[in-house]
Amino acid sequence: MWGFYFQELMHSLPFFLKGVWMTVAVAGLSLLAGTIIGFIAGIIRAGRNKILRAIIGAWVDLIRGTPFLVQVFIIFFILPSAGIELEAFPAAVIALSNLTASFICEIVVSGILAVPKGQREAATASGLSQYQQLRFIVLPQAMRTIMPPLVGQYVLLVKDSSVVSAIGVVDITRVGWLTVQRIPEGMMVFGLVGLLYFAICYPMINLSGYLERRMTVVTTKL
Amino acid sequence: MISFKNVNKWYGDLHVLNKIDLEVAQGEVVVVCGPSGSGKSTLIRCINRLEPIQEGELIVDNMNVHDKKANMTQIRAEIGFIFQSFNLYPHMTALGNVTIAPIRVRKIQKEEAEKLGRETLTRVGLGDRINNYPAQLSGGQQQRVAIARGLCMNPKIMLFDEPTSALDPEMIGEVLDVMRDLAEGGMTMIVVTHEMGFAREVANRVVFMDEGKIIEVAPPNDFFTNPQTERGKAFLSSILSH
Repeated sequence: MWGFYFQELMHSLPFFLKGVWMTVAVAGLSLLAGTIIGFIAGIIRAGRNKILRAIIGAWVDLIRGTPFLVQVFIIFFILPSAGIELEAFPAAVIALSNLTASFICEIVVSGILAVPKGQREAATASGLSQYQQLRFIVLPQAMRTIMPPLVGQYVLLVKDSSVVSAIGVVDITRVGWLTVQRIPEGMMVFGLVGLLYFAICYPMINLSGYLERRMTVVTTKL
Repeated sequence: MISFKNVNKWYGDLHVLNKIDLEVAQGEVVVVCGPSGSGKSTLIRCINRLEPIQEGELIVDNMNVHDKKANMTQIRAEIGFIFQSFNLYPHMTALGNVTIAPIRVRKIQKEEAEKLGRETLTRVGLGDRINNYPAQLSGGQQQRVAIARGLCMNPKIMLFDEPTSALDPEMIGEVLDVMRDLAEGGMTMIVVTHEMGFAREVANRVVFMDEGKIIEVAPPNDFFTNPQTERGKAFLSSILSH
């Protein structure tokens, strides 16, 4: 029986690859949007405007303080009652971008705050504008602190993306759910699901570790 | 060149600058000394508005620094500021450190700025260190790069905030030598320092501060040999006794 199911599973591989493609699409788009929004929010939150800082802080707390599944449901099921209808795919990308942005925001803030105050003072004293200080002095130094946890966050993003299967996005997890109804070998089916996620995440984990080692060496050298 | 008129500044209840009146002429070298917490650093940090003032008027090169409409980029470009902790940009080479402001603020072409940077670094004795990063330089060398960074903007004024306090004793001399050359070249300088030898030799006037007030202003010889106030006497005996 096991051999029969295994063969069946191998026949389903193209279906699984479609799931991989969907996971990569959802996670990739969210990575892009989440990074851009997260950096902008982080730069503002590390800045001077108290009102904007408070607003972003409240948003970060709200997103970090609620389960991601609930956020996905709110965007997919509750927004339509307010007249905003979304397909599963854009709803998933919006929810995941929003989640990722809130975490990246905090990573960027701590990176910027880790740059010694004297760096900004020296830049101010030489006449560099606020934007120039950020662009040439603060961000290049903050990136050393930001890069390792940022890549780590991308790994979490890929894994968290499995939650969007709950609203019908046919990603790797959803393909697993659908397949297990035909092939009732949960261990085998979800073993494959896990393996596929791992294949995406493992290179990123290595990259994160590599960056961490490299950045640490550079920082202690400085 | 620099004119403080009844300048007051508070940190909360603490009156850090108390009715400061001071005129510094072009080409003059003024050394500011006094016990820690006396407001010396704050005094010079107000000149390029690293710190705001709450009352009074501060005129630098005919521009009112604390006017909200003041063009601070222009004012700051004319004032070099040297920090106790150097504050070099660690991700840039010595040449990168000294050329960033000329390129970005003065809008000088990169090649021209690098030529200027090489000349200026050579002038402070670091012609062979142009491509080194700050971490590869000694404290004295870093502070000289910082001075070169200020000089590359071709400033009218140089401010020094305890430039040798973070240095090992054997490196103090090389930094003071550069500052001495600058003074001889006619640069307007205000130097917060405890290097009394430097003050005696180079300064035109010594300003002694305590508790946010200017207590004495005198030529160095007068101040060191015959301070007019009790607090001045007490300060001198405390720093000269060790």
